[in-house]
Amino acid sequence: MAGAFSSINTALSALRYQQSALDIASTNIANASTDGYVRRRVVGQTVGAAAAPAVWSRSNEIGSGVQSSGVQRMVDPLLDARVRREHGRLTYLDTKAAAMSRVETGINEPSTTGVAKAVDTFRTSLDDLNNAPNSDAARSQVLANANLVADSFNTQSRNLQDEMGDQRARVVATVKEINTVAQQLADTNRSISASSGGGSDTATLMDTRDQLALRLSELTGATATPQADGTMDITLGGASLVSGRDAATLEVSAGIAADGTADGSAVAFSLTQPDGSVDDPVVPSGGQLAASVELIDHVLPDYAADLDALVEQFTTAFNDAHALGFDAAGAQGGEFFHSSDPDDLAGSLRVVVTDRSKIAVSSIGATPPALPTPNNDTGNAAKLADSITIQDGYQRLVNGFGSAVATVQRLAANQSTMTTQVDAAREQQTGVSLDEESVNMLMAQRSYEAAARVMTTVDEMLDTLINRTGVVGR
Amino acid sequence: MTLSRMTQNMMSRQSFAGMQTAMDRVAKSQEQLTTGRLINRPSDDPTGATTAMRLRSSLSSQQQYVRNADDAIGWLDQTDTTLGSMASQITRAHDLALQGANTGAMSSDARAALATEVDQIRSGLISSANARYLDRPLFGGITTRTAAYDENGDVIDPPAMGTGTGVVRTIADGQQIRIDVEGPDVFEGADGVSVFTHLADLSAALKSGDTTVIKSSIGKLKDDGDRVVNVRSEIGARTVRVENARSVADDATLTLTNALSNVENVDLAKATVELSLREVAYKAALGATARVLQPSLLDYLR
Repeated sequence: MAGAFSSINTALSALRYQQSALDIASTNIANASTDGYVRRRVVGQTVGAAAAPAVWSRSNEIGSGVQSSGVQRMVDPLLDARVRREHGRLTYLDTKAAAMSRVETGINEPSTTGVAKAVDTFRTSLDDLNNAPNSDAARSQVLANANLVADSFNTQSRNLQDEMGDQRARVVATVKEINTVAQQLADTNRSISASSGGGSDTATLMDTRDQLALRLSELTGATATPQADGTMDITLGGASLVSGRDAATLEVSAGIAADGTADGSAVAFSLTQPDGSVDDPVVPSGGQLAASVELIDHVLPDYAADLDALVEQFTTAFNDAHALGFDAAGAQGGEFFHSSDPDDLAGSLRVVVTDRSKIAVSSIGATPPALPTPNNDTGNAAKLADSITIQDGYQRLVNGFGSAVATVQRLAANQSTMTTQVDAAREQQTGVSLDEESVNMLMAQRSYEAAARVMTTVDEMLDTLINRTGVVGR
Repeated sequence: MTLSRMTQNMMSRQSFAGMQTAMDRVAKSQEQLTTGRLINRPSDDPTGATTAMRLRSSLSSQQQYVRNADDAIGWLDQTDTTLGSMASQITRAHDLALQGANTGAMSSDARAALATEVDQIRSGLISSANARYLDRPLFGGITTRTAAYDENGDVIDPPAMGTGTGVVRTIADGQQIRIDVEGPDVFEGADGVSVFTHLADLSAALKSGDTTVIKSSIGKLKDDGDRVVNVRSEIGARTVRVENARSVADDATLTLTNALSNVENVDLAKATVELSLREVAYKAALGATARVLQPSLLDYLR
């Protein structure tokens, strides 16, 4: 026995340790459903005999109790990295799928109100005019249906432009959020390095750090690298976004003007480091930002370009056929459809002819060999109707887009399953099981009671020694 | 996936995910039933959507052909009826000419009476020649005037004739048929003299008693009558062709509507059963989720 009161000290260390075990269990239970909380475990360590006794002396201690060597966060860094990667991929696919579904709803095919139907109705009204060329009603119908065709193309173009505008606004908002989160992560890193240097508990700060890193992965697909001192560095497209306590600022360097409109070039980003150096260009590899950029630069403009090509084919063929005919006054047919904006043929498509007598359905005009005007020849009406050949092209365009949407949705569904599984695996490791914590609490309680009993026993033993020795004869 | 550890969070998340999937399926079934269509957007079935669009396009073409054919049949029938009555009138005039040629038995008063009747026949023929279908003169070519012939038997709008194309209707894909006959083709012979002129000449000859002219009128009127009958038979042939095309287009309309329905429309019985099944699955998912809030170990410790 190393001293009269060493047993009491042993029991005391047990009491302290079991109390901290109880505290840990109660913290775990309290945070069972908190987002991002990683369960804690207190690790006990036996206090052994003194390793280096004084010179010429010998220690015959056996063991002196228990101490807590630290609180362990039950986390697997590799699993965390996997979770971040899968979440980044999932938000990329989800954002893309949602935007493309919205555009597809706007296309509104197959239906009785889309572009295909408008073109068909225009064609049949030309045939009806062929049947009754001197009928003002038939001519008015042709003009009305031509305006309907132009309107449906305008609507399609507007649909695409609106979605692109929404995505640009989303990019601007996302960049703001990224900068905020990066700054928060840098602050957390500073707190972590201060705390671990000072020896205090950094578990909660680590939880916050992991949450912020996950959010950045979802937004940008950035890679997170935990450092030895517990801080987390974030690299985006090869450049550093967060490095220790320093956070860079992400900016849109091209593609979106200050008021949110397009400036004609592809969207590009730059990172401004706190020391002033600029990394340009920075390409986000996944997450929401990459999805929005892909939509703005590739998916939506490609569809718009194909639509414009169809509109050009349609208007050129129709205008050519119209120019070959003669109107009710015998004059040569003029331009029928016109697109004023060469970058947006579909959106600026208009019907030039406003007077129904100027629809050139006759193949015989006032020029020699002349015929009297007006005439009821409709030799050009059939040619006008035949010049409308874009139905096939439009069907292919819609089919292509529909297939693309279906593919993205399938990929998103698969990725969602994968992400759920990875999340479940992480939850298995880090999640709080109330049953387990109840058992831990029970063990801690009983150990505490037993250690208290040890203390009582030693107390009684010492009481015997102190108060009841040497009282013979009293 | 073998699990070495299960937490309450995991159980509730799994239940929730399952419930979401079940609800998603129910929503899809409901959408199909309420819209009545399997394909509500191109991504539901891209190839089916293309087929549906193509079918709709063909359907509208065929319906247009039916409309065109109906209009053509109306025109041709009207022409046929008019030519029929005109042929019988010309035959009557021919008989009158025969009668008038018999100068031995006819007095000048009798011939004057014949002449009056010939005049009547002539004005009757002119008004028949101005017959119209839906406000367009049948024999006027591509004229926009209201009549083809004036009361002198002359064409009102000569440049509107002989243009080559005439009045055409598209009755099938790439097939056009000419449905009018121009006045000169029916009423004028190869020498360019119309039947109205012949009748006017006959009437004048009857009144003046010019037997040579009367005799020559007999031959001319016979030729005129034959010509009208020939044109009439040609009109008949065209009518048959248009009617055939119309019934083909009608059948095509039915077939295409059927095909479109097969591709696009939902089978109500099947969809209703599917909805019921999915609702049952959803209810089961809900029940399972409710049991996630299990009693824990704490309930059993003292």
